Amino acid sequence: MKVMIALDESKGSFYALNWVLTNIIKPRTAIVAASQEGGEEKEDLVYLVHVNLPFQTYVYPAGPVIYTATSVFESVKQAQEKISAGIFARAMRCCEDMNVKSEAMSLRGEPKEVLCQAVEENHVDLLVVGSRGLGMLKRAFLGSVSDYCAHHAHCPVLIVKPPKDLAHQEEEGLQKNA
Amino acid sequence: MEVEKNEEKKIIVAVDESEESMYALSWCLHNIIVSQQISKSTTLVLLYVKPPPPPYSAFHVAGYLFGNDVIATLEEYSERLVDSVMSKAQAICMKSNRNIKVEKKVGSGDAKNVICGTVEKLGADMLVMGSHGYGFLKRALLGSVSHDCAKHVKCPMVVVKQPKNI
Repeated sequence: MKVMIALDESKGSFYALNWVLTNIIKPRTAIVAASQEGGEEKEDLVYLVHVNLPFQTYVYPAGPVIYTATSVFESVKQAQEKISAGIFARAMRCCEDMNVKSEAMSLRGEPKEVLCQAVEENHVDLLVVGSRGLGMLKRAFLGSVSDYCAHHAHCPVLIVKPPKDLAHQEEEGLQKNA
Repeated sequence: MEVEKNEEKKIIVAVDESEESMYALSWCLHNIIVSQQISKSTTLVLLYVKPPPPPYSAFHVAGYLFGNDVIATLEEYSERLVDSVMSKAQAICMKSNRNIKVEKKVGSGDAKNVICGTVEKLGADMLVMGSHGYGFLKRALLGSVSHDCAKHVKCPMVVVKQPKNI
């Protein structure tokens, strides 16, 4: 079974990753080990996806349009790559602990479209999104990305919401940093 | 966050008259409950939500618009609907996994409220819905039930769509 998980820096997406690994993948790998049937491909593969928003080539201050310089591009790109690398490192470690094959994909674009496209291209069997799986979305309602994916992806979509205490921890963390 | 092997898990599957929810049920059975070990410790709850009773009663202000007979027939119809849905769902369960514990629950009223309420009451670990969770009459607005549930339910939820090439 191929599972694709959308990740970002928030704890919610790692909670989703762990939940999936524990409740969906781990039982399956246990069977594969026990039955040892050849032929049919029963190994699970987890695609870890991190989507970065598309580059804005210009910014709109109050006055005239200013085009961002290429140096700004470069530094933003590098910062994003560092963040992605950190996320992937953590996630791959979680997968390795559970003996699950994983593949990291770093994509750029509008998160909902990119996710649905990636699902199609890779023939994914299950798409997992946290309730705030891609970026900082309001807690008041289910983020538009997970909602869009639930209705437009061509495979079943699993939406994992972090439990309240985790959400509170994150909120406190955000407030301290703000 | 280790799930012990003996831990009881409850999975609620919302069913209705549509093919999509039956597909969601069989998807759940094939992909989530994959071994005897898992099926022993998992309870599958089939939740069917009856459409809310019509807002008019026999004692309508403008007169006796609907007599008792009509009400009785309507109720009998909804009972038959419940039975047919539940038997279909149970047939699917029997076909795939014989040892899984299946519970049937019937609710009535607004689908989203009933489903979210049941999830909380039973302390379910997971909710599975087809993309068309409500009856055939409201197909135009159907995306909304799974959408609303996704917003409010507290546990992880899977929305299963039937692939179009079937």
